[in-house]
Amino acid sequence: MSSNSVDLKRRQRFDRVVSVLHRDLYRYAAWLCRDPGIAEEVVQEALLRAWKSLDALREDSAAKSWLLTIVRRENARYFERKRLETVDIDSLTPSQSAMLAETEDPNIAEMREALYRLEDDYREPLVLQVLMGHSTKEIAELMGIKPGAVLTRLHRGRIKLKEEVEKEAAA
Amino acid sequence: MNVSKQIMNCEDYREAIAADPSESFEGGAAHVAACESCSAYRAEMRALDDKISRALAIDVPALQIPDLPPIGEDEENVVNLPFRRASKISTPAWIGIAASFALAAVVGVQFVGNGPANDQLLAAEVLAHLDHEPGALVVTDVSVSDEQFARVINSAVGTMDRGVGLVSYAQTCIINGMSIPHLVIQGEHGPVTLLLMPDEMVSSAVPLTGEGVTGIILPHGDGSIAIIGEREERIQDLEQRVVDSVEWSI
Repeated sequence: MSSNSVDLKRRQRFDRVVSVLHRDLYRYAAWLCRDPGIAEEVVQEALLRAWKSLDALREDSAAKSWLLTIVRRENARYFERKRLETVDIDSLTPSQSAMLAETEDPNIAEMREALYRLEDDYREPLVLQVLMGHSTKEIAELMGIKPGAVLTRLHRGRIKLKEEVEKEAAA
Repeated sequence: MNVSKQIMNCEDYREAIAADPSESFEGGAAHVAACESCSAYRAEMRALDDKISRALAIDVPALQIPDLPPIGEDEENVVNLPFRRASKISTPAWIGIAASFALAAVVGVQFVGNGPANDQLLAAEVLAHLDHEPGALVVTDVSVSDEQFARVINSAVGTMDRGVGLVSYAQTCIINGMSIPHLVIQGEHGPVTLLLMPDEMVSSAVPLTGEGVTGIILPHGDGSIAIIGEREERIQDLEQRVVDSVEWSI
């Protein structure tokens, strides 16, 4: 097989995997960093990294976890590089505000704000479970924590969101 | 959290359903069939989850694939990373010429293991991190203070027996978003880097090699320890000593 043919196959494989998972990668990145602009940068860097080590992916069925892991590490790398401060919801950039304002349903907008304020440790497993459909075991592997810790964070995260929403409703 | 009991009480059930509204855990269906109050709680949690799901589904911009560099045949199956190897210098001369480390030879480092992708990604993270702190790679006989050592090996990490060797560098660093102790001990052939990663599991030992350097990431309890030194360094002689010296906190 010529090298051109190998390159083409590699590129086709990459495009196939990425086109299917792009929405998940972007949303995961956006909820990790809470900034659509940074999320786009993180995903771009992650895709580049994935392209370079595509041969490490033995089975396409494992692509989702593999790519989410790359996004997670790229996000950590981005924040280590930039030494960014945590986000204060009262001083959002236009891009961050847009992420919160893009829905017209007040109930969803309220929940989105609550998710935005939720601590990273609680928000991330929720994103992985609710949005990505990951099992407890998969979340534990991705986050490098024990399954029991994942369940505790999911439970506490939901209770915090529930209380937050109830507080807003009562106000 | 105990979600595996066949017979659950209301408290167990509510904890479990808040962690997993799909109720994939054992014993849940039996409990809720006999408990009206928990049945209502489950409906509440599922309604909450529906709202969470819709709130998380933010708009996604059009896919833009970055310019992808051509992959040479020799690069396939190999992740090449920059890695600066320090020259051997002794204290106190290193202080004046620390800047020269920026000019140290850049050599390729590759993973020689065939472990899962996650292990290889961690290896990439470890090697990329070393490049951030070339100043750590100096030959010296000056040990870090007990105070500095205690700040880095704190109770959140665990304990480490200082008998492992002369610790000449100790800092808290970030690997994969986690704060971890980055130590350097003096080996027979120069500085040996130790990264103690209590939260990073590897499926098995991940060997690392490159021009002038050698190393390994070893599984240790629920975490792992990276050991990287000069090529002449007998890392295998250090492995057991290092692993035995570290105990993670629970």
